Amino acid sequence: MNTRKKVLIIDDDNDFCIATKLILEKGGYEVFIAEDGKIGVEVAKNVSPDLAIVDMMMETWSEGFNVVAKLRGSDATKDIKLIMLSAVDLHGPYDEPSMPPDGAPRVDMVLAKPIKAPDLINYIGNLIGKSS
Amino acid sequence: MSSKEKPERILIIDDEESIRDGCRQSLTKCGYEVITAKDGDEGIKLARQWQPQMSFVDLKMPGMYGLEVMEIIARDIPDIILVVITGYASIVSAVEAMKKGAYDYLPKPFIPDQLRAVAQRGLEHRELKIEARKLREEKDLYQKGFITFVSHEMRSPLVTVLQYVETIKMLCENSLDPEIMKIIERCSFRLKNLEDLISHWLDISRVENGNFSKDVAPLELQTVISSAIDDLMPLCDKRGLTVETLIPRTLPSVMGDEESLLRVFTNVIGNAVKYTPSGGKITIKASAEEYYVLVSISDTGIGIPPDKLPFIFEPFFRVKGKEDRYRGSGLGLTFCKKIMDAHHGEIEVTSQEGVGTSFVLKFPR
Repeated sequence: MNTRKKVLIIDDDNDFCIATKLILEKGGYEVFIAEDGKIGVEVAKNVSPDLAIVDMMMETWSEGFNVVAKLRGSDATKDIKLIMLSAVDLHGPYDEPSMPPDGAPRVDMVLAKPIKAPDLINYIGNLIGKSS
Repeated sequence: MSSKEKPERILIIDDEESIRDGCRQSLTKCGYEVITAKDGDEGIKLARQWQPQMSFVDLKMPGMYGLEVMEIIARDIPDIILVVITGYASIVSAVEAMKKGAYDYLPKPFIPDQLRAVAQRGLEHRELKIEARKLREEKDLYQKGFITFVSHEMRSPLVTVLQYVETIKMLCENSLDPEIMKIIERCSFRLKNLEDLISHWLDISRVENGNFSKDVAPLELQTVISSAIDDLMPLCDKRGLTVETLIPRTLPSVMGDEESLLRVFTNVIGNAVKYTPSGGKITIKASAEEYYVLVSISDTGIGIPPDKLPFIFEPFFRVKGKEDRYRGSGLGLTFCKKIMDAHHGEIEVTSQEGVGTSFVLKFPR
C-alpha cells in the first residue's frame, strides 16, 4: 500500500515545478503538478494532497490567493496544508501584489523563491510530517 | 490663439460694467468665447457650469472678496488660469493673489492689447502645464509598470535556475566528482549575486518612485539595530568577530520606515562584517543630539583608500573587486543613501586603510 504523503505543486513555471518535484520526490513525497490555478484546484479535489505549494503570481498577480480561497472554501480541500510561494522579494514592503487581499484565508507558510532544498524538506516535514 | 477647434472660454468677473464690456469686446475679437459675471457669486456659478479655461477676477468687488472667489474657482475648475484685475494698482494684493495660485495680474486701467497679451500667454501656459503633467503621469505609470515587469520577468527565470541548482545539489551530492560539485557551487554563488543585484536595483527604483514612504511611523532605532545584529550574528560568530553595542535606553524614537531601515542597518553592519578580518571588532553606538539621533557603526576592518572614499555611495562603485567575499551588487550603499535621504537623514563615512571604517547615520528628531 502506498503510504507516501502527497504534495501538490501549483505553479505556471513548469521548470520550477520540475525542480521542486525532484527535490520532494528525493525527500520521499509523492508529487503532483498543476500548471495553473484552475487545474490546481481540480487536482487537489481528485488526489487529496496533504499539502499544496501555491505560487502567488500566475496568470494574474494574485491568482495564488484565488486558489487558496477556493481550496479553503471547499470541504474536500479545506484541510490541505498550504505554502504560498513568491518570486518577489518578501523583505520588500513595497509591492502591492505581495500583500494578501483583505480577508484572504490564511496559508500555513509563505516562502520566497528560490528555496534551499534541505529547508523545503524541513518545512514540509514540520507541516505534514515525514513521508514513510 | 491655439489651433484647437473649439474657441477657448474666458470668464470675466468684475463689478464694473465698462470693464466687462471692454474685455468681452477685445477678447471676442480674437476668437475667444467670453462670458461675464458681475460679482463673485455669479462668477463661481458660471465657472462651474461653463468650465472656462481662463478667468479674469477683479480683486475688489462688493460681497465676496476677489481672493475668495479665486480660491473657490481654482479648487473647482482644474487647470484654470486665473488672472487678477486690480483696481488700485495695488501690487500687495496682486502679489497675495499670485501666492494663492493666480497666474498673472492686470492693473487697471489697461488697454486691449495688454489684456489680449495676458490672455494669450496664460492660455499657452495652461497648455504647457497640462502637457507637462500628462507626460509626467505617463512616465510615472511607465516606470511603475517597468519595475513590476522587471521584478517578475527578470527574477522568475533566475529563481527557477537557482531552484534547479538546488535540485542538482540535492540529487547528486554524494555521486558527483568534487570538481563538478565545486562548479555547481560557483554557479549557485554567481546566480545569487545576480539575484541580489536585481533585488537591490528594485529597491532603489522603489525608493525613487516614493513607494516606500507610506509605512513611515515612529520607531525605536534600538529595536531595528538589534534585529539587524540578530540577522548577522551567525556570520559574525563564524568569522570570529566581536560585536559591541552601546545604545542608551533613553534614545528618542525617530520617524521612519522600519523595513527599509532594517535593510540599511543590515547593509552597513553586513559591510563591516564583510570587510573586517577574523578576530576584529564591530562597535555600534547610538546617541541623541539636539536635532539628530546618531548611530555609528565602526569596524577594525581593512578600511577604504582615501581616493575611493568619496565614491562609495555611487551605484556600481566597488572598492575591491577581485576577491570573492568582497564581491557585492555595488548597489548596497547606494540604497542606504537613498533610504537615508528619503528619511531626511544623512549617512557619512570616515575610514583609514588598515585601521577601520566608521559609518555615521543621522536621523532627524
